[in-house]
Amino acid sequence: MTIWKLRNNNPLRKSFVTNNIKLNEFDALIRITVEMSKYLYPYIREIMKSKEDIEQNSIVWNDFNKRFVELIKERFNMDSIRVKKLLNQAENDETIIKSLLILSFCISNQGYQKLKNFLYDF
Amino acid sequence: MMQNKLSFHQSSASLEIMGLPDYSNNENKDQISIISQWKLTIVDKPVIEGKIEHLGPIMNAFYIYSNLLIKNEIPIYESKLIDIKADNLHIHNIVLKSSKPNVKPLVLKIGNSLLSDTINCFDQLNESPKIRIKKTDISTKITKKSRFGFNKKINFFNFFMPPFFAFCSLILLSSSLIYFYSPFENIEKKELINPE
Repeated sequence: MTIWKLRNNNPLRKSFVTNNIKLNEFDALIRITVEMSKYLYPYIREIMKSKEDIEQNSIVWNDFNKRFVELIKERFNMDSIRVKKLLNQAENDETIIKSLLILSFCISNQGYQKLKNFLYDF
Repeated sequence: MMQNKLSFHQSSASLEIMGLPDYSNNENKDQISIISQWKLTIVDKPVIEGKIEHLGPIMNAFYIYSNLLIKNEIPIYESKLIDIKADNLHIHNIVLKSSKPNVKPLVLKIGNSLLSDTINCFDQLNESPKIRIKKTDISTKITKKSRFGFNKKINFFNFFMPPFFAFCSLILLSSSLIYFYSPFENIEKKELINPE
């Protein structure tokens, strides 16, 4: 329930009210993200790999991209310019690849600290 | 003497470290502190191997390059030993230059999946309690042409600080000299000496 409520601090979401996330809540979200990326690493890797071979039809990538766009349409504020950029399939490749790379670089034991550094540097 | 061997695996990449414990430091038998050889194996690619002095620069190159990739900077890393450039969003071009004369550089093309496997192998090595890498082995002379924000900040700072300090010291010096020069007192003294 708490995690569900924390998601509403994201200004890109439809349900966004106000941003009052605390530092320990932010840290907890980072820890959850790292644990999830450890668990999902084989899938993350497969999505990135499917886009590497240009000749091969990247079915996995297309499926992932389709689901990503669907979820954004369902949950994010469509009037925002940043959300519109995420939905543009010609432009969102770079954002998706960078996000997947960040997650895949943070699966070690020090992953929490690495992800935190990446986020603070953004 | 039998050498210790430790391996780190991540999907399609594996890193092998061979070496000995530092007995003078009362280390365990299975510890590695004196690395004699290392080998990075990536599936379907030639094996990369070398001595300890090559491991540090190669690890640094991968870490710096991966940071550049994420931070929206131009992903180029160049050094005497290794060059890494991005062909496109998904493929990275690695050129490994041999220290031996008349040996052609080894060119590898790896995708994002293999890049993240390699970085994760290096992470496992860094976090392993059984291997101690001296800081002098890892840190290298930064002669490479790498572009990232931190360096840019340092250059900017170095560029503007010397003239700024020079300007401040000039103001300080000139303001202190004001105490030694008082034109009105001088005129009064002259009038006292020459009352005419």
